[in-house]
Amino acid sequence: MKFLKLGILLAFIIAAITACSSDNDSPEETNDTFDRGAMLTNWADNIIIPAYTSFNAKVVEMEAATTTFNAAPTVENLQTLRSVWKDAYVSFQNVSMFEIGKAEEVRFRNRLNVYPTNVVQIEDFIATGNYDFALPSTIDKQGFPAMDYMLNGLAETDAEIVTFYTSNTNAEGYKNYLSTLSETISNLSNEVLTSWTGGYRDTFVANTSSSASGAVDKLTNDYIFYFEKALRAGKVGIPAGIFSNGTLPQNVEAFYKKDISKELLLGAIDASVNFFNGKSFNGNTTGEGFKSYLGYLNTIKNGANLSALINDQFNVAQNKANELNANFVQQIDTDNSKMLATYDELQRLVVLLKVDMVQAFDVTIDYVDADGD
Amino acid sequence: MKNLLSTTLIFSALIFASCSSDDDNPIVQNTVEAPATYKFMRGSESTVSFDGQTTRILMAGETANAFMDFDNTTEASLLAMFNHQAGNNDFSEASLNASDKNLRSKTATSYDYFFTNTSETAEIRADFENYISSQINEVFPNNMVVAAPGVAGQIADGSRTRYVNAKGLEYNQAFAKSLLGAVMADQMLNNYLSTAVLDEGNNRENNDNGITEQNRAYTTMEHKWDEAYGYLYGTSANPENPNLTIGEDDKFLNEYVGRVNDDPDFSTIAAEIFDAFKLGRGAIVAKNYEVRDEQVAIIREKISEVIAVRGIYYLQAGKNKIVDGDRQGAFHALSEAYGFVYSLRFTRKSDNSTPLFTKTEVDAQLDMLMDSSNNGFWDITPETLDAVSEAIAAKFDFTVSQAGSL
Repeated sequence: MKFLKLGILLAFIIAAITACSSDNDSPEETNDTFDRGAMLTNWADNIIIPAYTSFNAKVVEMEAATTTFNAAPTVENLQTLRSVWKDAYVSFQNVSMFEIGKAEEVRFRNRLNVYPTNVVQIEDFIATGNYDFALPSTIDKQGFPAMDYMLNGLAETDAEIVTFYTSNTNAEGYKNYLSTLSETISNLSNEVLTSWTGGYRDTFVANTSSSASGAVDKLTNDYIFYFEKALRAGKVGIPAGIFSNGTLPQNVEAFYKKDISKELLLGAIDASVNFFNGKSFNGNTTGEGFKSYLGYLNTIKNGANLSALINDQFNVAQNKANELNANFVQQIDTDNSKMLATYDELQRLVVLLKVDMVQAFDVTIDYVDADGD
Repeated sequence: MKNLLSTTLIFSALIFASCSSDDDNPIVQNTVEAPATYKFMRGSESTVSFDGQTTRILMAGETANAFMDFDNTTEASLLAMFNHQAGNNDFSEASLNASDKNLRSKTATSYDYFFTNTSETAEIRADFENYISSQINEVFPNNMVVAAPGVAGQIADGSRTRYVNAKGLEYNQAFAKSLLGAVMADQMLNNYLSTAVLDEGNNRENNDNGITEQNRAYTTMEHKWDEAYGYLYGTSANPENPNLTIGEDDKFLNEYVGRVNDDPDFSTIAAEIFDAFKLGRGAIVAKNYEVRDEQVAIIREKISEVIAVRGIYYLQAGKNKIVDGDRQGAFHALSEAYGFVYSLRFTRKSDNSTPLFTKTEVDAQLDMLMDSSNNGFWDITPETLDAVSEAIAAKFDFTVSQAGSL
């Protein structure tokens, strides 16, 4: 009897404690049997590897054009190199979002595209000849933005730029710096591509786990991080002054070339839409991707299909971006409100991707904003 | 059987009552009206003054920044900033250079913890001087070297570059976050809010009779309280209503009260701390020392909580990065955690005069972080980081996961 009493008492106590023990029940069990393997395969074989292959061909060409220019620094060779550099820079927008595997390990995006580039220290490096691009502190002295300065920013006219590589007392220093920049980009690109083709592809495709370390979760995070930080903030928000007192026109992408900032932005948005839709890099076929995954989950928001909402919003953002001047410095100086309007549309996309889409996928965002020191 | 039912009901009722919400307000026999802001006047003059604390917070900020000035800082210049002498040009601001205040003289010198414990004071000061010397002698020579296990130098943390010692520790973070405990929290909790200091000599009698310090508008007791206040709010944009910008006004206690308050699990902590400060100051004006001391207990509890929560937060942030495969990305958080753990030594139980953590306990935790393997953060395990987190949380009524979330 005593035990019974105690038992009932305990049962009551447990019930009471459980009752107030709190809030969230675990989320509803979903029976998500979407074929993640098929999505990873489409990503790897039809998008990521073809995009890196195409990019790598362009940087190989850029390295060759650099060698040609250094051997004969003429205005004509400068213009050829600049044109190849631009093509490679545009092509980079197709791979920048895939910061996973070897790319993550070598910090691919930070090695290739940190801007504004640090001109004072670049000049110091050239003067001393003492630099090591493997050092984390040199990320703002290398990559495409540093080449932008070397090819477009040394002087006003092409003839004057060429003199840095011919009659300048340290012409050898400028040539060496330029070739090291070009070579480093090429080596890093080759390293990442060979990792994908040399085994990482299989690891990636097989990692179908729906945990934080699964390939879908990781690449989804990488994609959203890229879209939020590198695209929305880097290309538009920061130069437009969203995060500062006053605008920062010197922080636009390709500041020295000037008239390609818009092309780089549009290329990046295109690549993001295409990845969202699972569209093959070469050709127009689509395969499994975020869009079809959302379709599978039949996620509905505001009575509309979430993937349709996202595609519509991509369209709106593209249209806003299309209204911008090719030269963002001019755009910011003449009418920054257009930059802000573009930013707002990109921001709406961030919300759709980072809140609605990841909720549907049950993916956890794995990054937080750094605390500023 | 009837008996059983009633017993059960009573128990259940008790249990429901016990979880039916937080603490009700303690019953206070003699109440003091809480002032709206931290504004206290005697006649037409403000009685609030804490410029010595403002000075020290600014000195601490410049000193911590100088750790990273590879071009200009020397061991001598950094030690001189820490132990500033009036008139020396150690800082960028003239008012700091002219000041006769410095950080070293207030490092681990609270009345309650160190008055008869000067050997530990000496040890703690030596730790700070060691952070300084090691930064110059180990990290500066390697500032253009890629760090590796056993090798000081640079590591990449996202797009930032961090500079670490051979075990992965950033000395600037260790210095700043340890200072937050050894100067700011220690002076506040264990010195200026100490009964021995507030009630020293004739302080009570003078406060009761409104006898102010010579040529000052404040009584000594009022001023001691303000000096405690200044270690948290000394650089606030609006010192009368500092929570408007809490977290934005310094890189020390103010910043981290703000950060912890951003965590939904601790979203009232900034308000609770400020409310206790202004009510306690109001109590001194009202000569109600009982209410004053109740507020001291709240401040001690909450400031201690801030240090512990933030320490666990960084330990968990570091652990998560290691689990995700970004070990080097974890070093910055772990370096901050190291300083917060160091600062636990200066936290305090609210109800009596004993430390929450003994020196032995804190030293053991620091050893686990730095010396559980040969290469410190380069091979520390997630299990060790969890063990340290749990040991800290065990002293409080929050969990590791509450502290680790945001």
